[in-house]
Amino acid sequence: MRTFFDTGNAAIVEAAVLSGCGVFSGYPITPATEIAENMSRRLPLAGGFYIQAEDETAALHICIGGALGGLKTMTATSGPGYVLYADPYGWAISGEVPLVIVNAQRVGPVSGITGAPGQGEFYLSRYPTHGGNFETVVLAPNSVQEAFTMTMEAFNLAERFRTPVTILADQLVTDGYESFTVPENEEELRALGLEVIPRRAHPGPDFYPACDALDVPPVVLGLGLGAACSDWTPTAEGYDTEDTAEQMRHARRLIYKILAHRDLVDRSELHALEDDPDVVLVSYGSPSRVVLGAVKEARRQDLSAGCIRLKSLWPFQDELFRRKAEYFVVELNVEGQLVREVERASRRPAHFMGLCGELPSSAELVRAIRRILRGEALPPATDEREIR
Amino acid sequence: MSRHEVLISGFGGQGVAVTGRALGSAAVSAGLRATMLLSHGTETRGGYVRSQVVISDESIDSPVVENPDIFCALSQAAYTRFIHLVSQGVVFYDPETATPGPASGARLVAVPAREIALESAGNERAANSVMLGAVLRRLNLFPVKYGMQALRGLLPRHAESNIRAVRAGYLRYME
Repeated sequence: MRTFFDTGNAAIVEAAVLSGCGVFSGYPITPATEIAENMSRRLPLAGGFYIQAEDETAALHICIGGALGGLKTMTATSGPGYVLYADPYGWAISGEVPLVIVNAQRVGPVSGITGAPGQGEFYLSRYPTHGGNFETVVLAPNSVQEAFTMTMEAFNLAERFRTPVTILADQLVTDGYESFTVPENEEELRALGLEVIPRRAHPGPDFYPACDALDVPPVVLGLGLGAACSDWTPTAEGYDTEDTAEQMRHARRLIYKILAHRDLVDRSELHALEDDPDVVLVSYGSPSRVVLGAVKEARRQDLSAGCIRLKSLWPFQDELFRRKAEYFVVELNVEGQLVREVERASRRPAHFMGLCGELPSSAELVRAIRRILRGEALPPATDEREIR
Repeated sequence: MSRHEVLISGFGGQGVAVTGRALGSAAVSAGLRATMLLSHGTETRGGYVRSQVVISDESIDSPVVENPDIFCALSQAAYTRFIHLVSQGVVFYDPETATPGPASGARLVAVPAREIALESAGNERAANSVMLGAVLRRLNLFPVKYGMQALRGLLPRHAESNIRAVRAGYLRYME
């Protein structure tokens, strides 16, 4: 194993190269620029292709082209680019094109601040395109090491589900530096619980089977297999159809191929929940690091608190929120996105702390936990940030 | 070993990021864990930059510097913005660029970094490496050679002058 002190962006590049990524197309944007920069150096040396696109819409379309050509592909951006993926994202979902998308979230809306973290694309990653009738797979790392492992896992999930997988990171994970370990051979790869699933090609003729099966090989054009792929509703053979019954079968496939195999996607980390604490903090990404520290500090002060960290966001893990506890959601957006899902899943109102471009301090989280335990409401996020 | 927090902040171009990276790399080379959060504005030069470095021998939960053991204020704006975080740590500031205001509990140490850089490295742009030397001395967690090695990796073309600056900063703050 080799240990580095480097960024999440560097870790993502290492993982993509190890996963056999053959095409990277992107448009540089802080805080994901170093992914494009390093890919432009690394991929050609590894026999792959780096293609600088004219914009993000083109970048993801190029990735789709690469994937349909039989290569593993990846793109990386931040919120302002992720929203431009909307059109090709839909193509990739409906055409069942496996590829990996990194979104290093920064504070928004629109261009916001380049060098400050945000979590504004929680819902956008659930509905990254129009039209409905689909599920998405979204992973959320909270460390540089996890950015590495989740990128490798994302390539495998994309392959097995035949769908685009988003890694919803944030600026602190992608631009932040941390020690991380990279395996140097097969044995070390397996020791980290990782593997590389190679790209296959569907032999046809049922390129778009009406089933929820996993591991259906992706469609690859140009191999003489008679494969077809377009943005229209496909028949099993991949031809365009206007038959609504075919559309229904296609929609069910897009949804249930993921929902029937949730165990492969679901990821969470639970801490200090064994004694059913009164307050359960909920978070994902960078804030979860502070939350964990705060919960440990709260326990030292004999406060009844635990925490749930979501490592996969979509499909949403409703089952995690069946406790009779006061849920306290911490996010990097002021209006509250994750908190809405937690309230829906738990069928209880939740407490919420939302910040803009800056992590909370563990001291202020501990004060908030005390306040909730006293039965007091937290001030709205739009009020004074300081909780006394 | 407990958790050590270092905050470095100044303008873009002063070496805030490189100093933090050198510190973190050095800690990792010495067998410790390290995190560094980098926050910055849109500008390449002249904008606000902040490195938050946490060093520990255990896994690091929060990478946020809440109560820095050392705060390197490389500009007046940085000093004003973050001095409230320092409750008992040390504040290194260059008297040429920052005039300290009220600071309850913090120990203020003037480091004429630009001047020392000019004397030791012949280049005032190595001022951040003087600060790095002072930080390494103050932390006293691992041999200074790891910091020098890290600079060799990060600034290969200017390694020697920056290493001289680190040494000068380190020796100046032997306590």
